[in-house]
Amino acid sequence: MIGEAAIRAGCRFYAGYPITPQNELTEYMARSMDNIEDGTFVQAESEIAAINMVIGASMAGARAMTSSSSPGISLKQEGISFLAAQELPAVIVNTMRGGPGLGNIAPSQGDYFQATRGGGHGDYRTIVLAPDSGQELADLTRTAFEYADKYRSPVLMLADGMMGQMMEPVVFPEPIDVSLLPHKPWTLGGAEGRPSRIILSLLLNPAKQEELNWKLERKYETITREIPKAEKYMTDDAHLAVIAYGTAARIAKGAVKRVREMGLKVGLFRPITLWPYPKNDLRDLSRHIRDFLVFEMNTGQMVEDVKLSLEGKSNVHFYGRPGGTISTPDEIAKMINTLYHRQNLEEE
Amino acid sequence: MKKGPFDMGQIDIAWCPGCGNFGILTALKGALTELGVRPEKLVIASGIGQAAKTPHYVRTNVFNGLHGRAVPAATAIKAANPGLTVIAEGGDGDMYGEGGNHFIHAIRRNPDITVIVHNNMVYALTKGQASPTSSIGFKTPVQVRGVTEEPFNAIAVSVALNASFVARAFAGDHDQTKDIIKKAVSHRGFALVEILQPCVSFNKVNTYQWFKENTAYHEASYDPSDRFAAFKRATEAEKMLLGIFYVNPDKPCFEDTLPPYYKETTPLFKRRIDGEKLFGLIDSRRRV
Ligand SMILES: Cc1ncc(C[n+]2csc(CCOP(=O)(O)OP(=O)(O)O)c2C)c(N)n1
Ligand code: SF4
Repeated sequence: MIGEAAIRAGCRFYAGYPITPQNELTEYMARSMDNIEDGTFVQAESEIAAINMVIGASMAGARAMTSSSSPGISLKQEGISFLAAQELPAVIVNTMRGGPGLGNIAPSQGDYFQATRGGGHGDYRTIVLAPDSGQELADLTRTAFEYADKYRSPVLMLADGMMGQMMEPVVFPEPIDVSLLPHKPWTLGGAEGRPSRIILSLLLNPAKQEELNWKLERKYETITREIPKAEKYMTDDAHLAVIAYGTAARIAKGAVKRVREMGLKVGLFRPITLWPYPKNDLRDLSRHIRDFLVFEMNTGQMVEDVKLSLEGKSNVHFYGRPGGTISTPDEIAKMINTLYHRQNLEEE
Repeated sequence: MKKGPFDMGQIDIAWCPGCGNFGILTALKGALTELGVRPEKLVIASGIGQAAKTPHYVRTNVFNGLHGRAVPAATAIKAANPGLTVIAEGGDGDMYGEGGNHFIHAIRRNPDITVIVHNNMVYALTKGQASPTSSIGFKTPVQVRGVTEEPFNAIAVSVALNASFVARAFAGDHDQTKDIIKKAVSHRGFALVEILQPCVSFNKVNTYQWFKENTAYHEASYDPSDRFAAFKRATEAEKMLLGIFYVNPDKPCFEDTLPPYYKETTPLFKRRIDGEKLFGLIDSRRRV
């Protein structure tokens, strides 16, 4: 799904290195780039080579993408930091698996901190998108390429192995005509009739480095104003809301439906952008919702962003399963039920 | 059959029936047994891949680390405790792809370790992509038109870098492979043993039959001290040659160049701190 959507979004350069569970995406990119004939596919010798190829393709003006899974994404972090520093657009897909270390290949959300806190070194941010369905994978892949170009920034898509296996009908956006994309005046493309350009991130002069850091920061403020996005599901009359993203949100939605049938007033808040975090939307909910249950497939990483958004105005609870174990909607429904009654929410 | 010192007893082995790795495992355990290596004095370090699972099936000390990084870990194990016999083991993707940079620099550094590379000319664990050693034209679901890159010739690279021991074996030949591993482990310095290994599931080109037809041993009179002859044989021979290509016994080992081992070989973790020397050093800095 991501593969098809990426091609339709004008991705014309892909570099990757085999790693489970995302080899299907690499295979898809290999086949499609071959079919469309004006796209380039490279199987690199390592993840580090792949991200640096993406850096090269991006600075030469192509819409470029790489993908991997958790340990491979760790290896790409130096390159992602460079993309941010140089303001080069690129899309990076992380099909998360259990960690830390080699971990396992089961679906996980253990890379939330790595994704939203930068992952690499230095003062920078990465736009992070967290789809929860096949359709959204397709839609957000398009969005990812658009944001990457618009904000000249790396954009990270967080998925997991479970999403790859979803069999759902998907409507893909129309393919774009790459030749009609706006001209990128900053690329390296031959210095004909203009002074030559240099793309570098080595700024030995602290004043110059500071200038770049503040310039990036101003951009991040703009992004924080413009793109935060979340889905609110049955939250209008809710006394309690589950907060979850990606695969966890799908499981949580099933649980919400179940407890609704039991008459519990429960909703779901699903962040779609993990950075910038949809703080304002969440804070709005806290006007009428006193208890939030964060559910993640990790030991509780997003809890920090939830607490920062709510600024102590509501109670934040957490339930999670790390290491690639997958909760069932029933399990979450039970958690909700217990919490609901413990907090005496039925009386409100 | 009598249980050898490196045998695990009844265990589940996660390899396909007929996989070349079984032959390598038997030859490795046989070689270590015949050399009289004690399991408690051996460490096998590996990365990730089908080949890198091998140490799981050997009763000894095992470090199963990150993909591509077995060689630097093995180098440091030996440098921290030179009394151990250290083997790094992995596949062609692990050692030559992800770990390619380490491979080259370990040869330069020359630690006294044995590097065993199971070369099945494919990425098996990730289900059949081309590896650095896949032949030109090799088709996979990712290399849809076939591989276009020149295969990585590890033997030629090692000889070019003046590695201290360079050999190639074939998993189908138990006795010769065992013999080569014995020589490699006994050798002092970086020893490469590349073992051609049929992968029956993901490489339908380089099969047992193909390896039989496309390999040949160096003749008995071949002299492995001649580096130029070795390079010529690594690059120009019609068939992939098997046996010892090159030995250079005169290179100093990395551990021997490390100051802690000038006088004694006690492992670092067993040494007592010389308080006088340490505080003397701290004081000397203070005065500055
Ligand atoms: C950092 C990282 N990248 C990628 C992988 C996925 N991976 C596991 S094994 C392997 C290569 C397997 O090929 P090879 O080393 O030739 O061993 P084989 O399985 O063929 O024996 C890869 C790419 C990983 N585990 N970690
Ligand atoms: S996939 Fe290939 S290398 Fe892996 S166990 Fe099976 S035959 Fe051996």
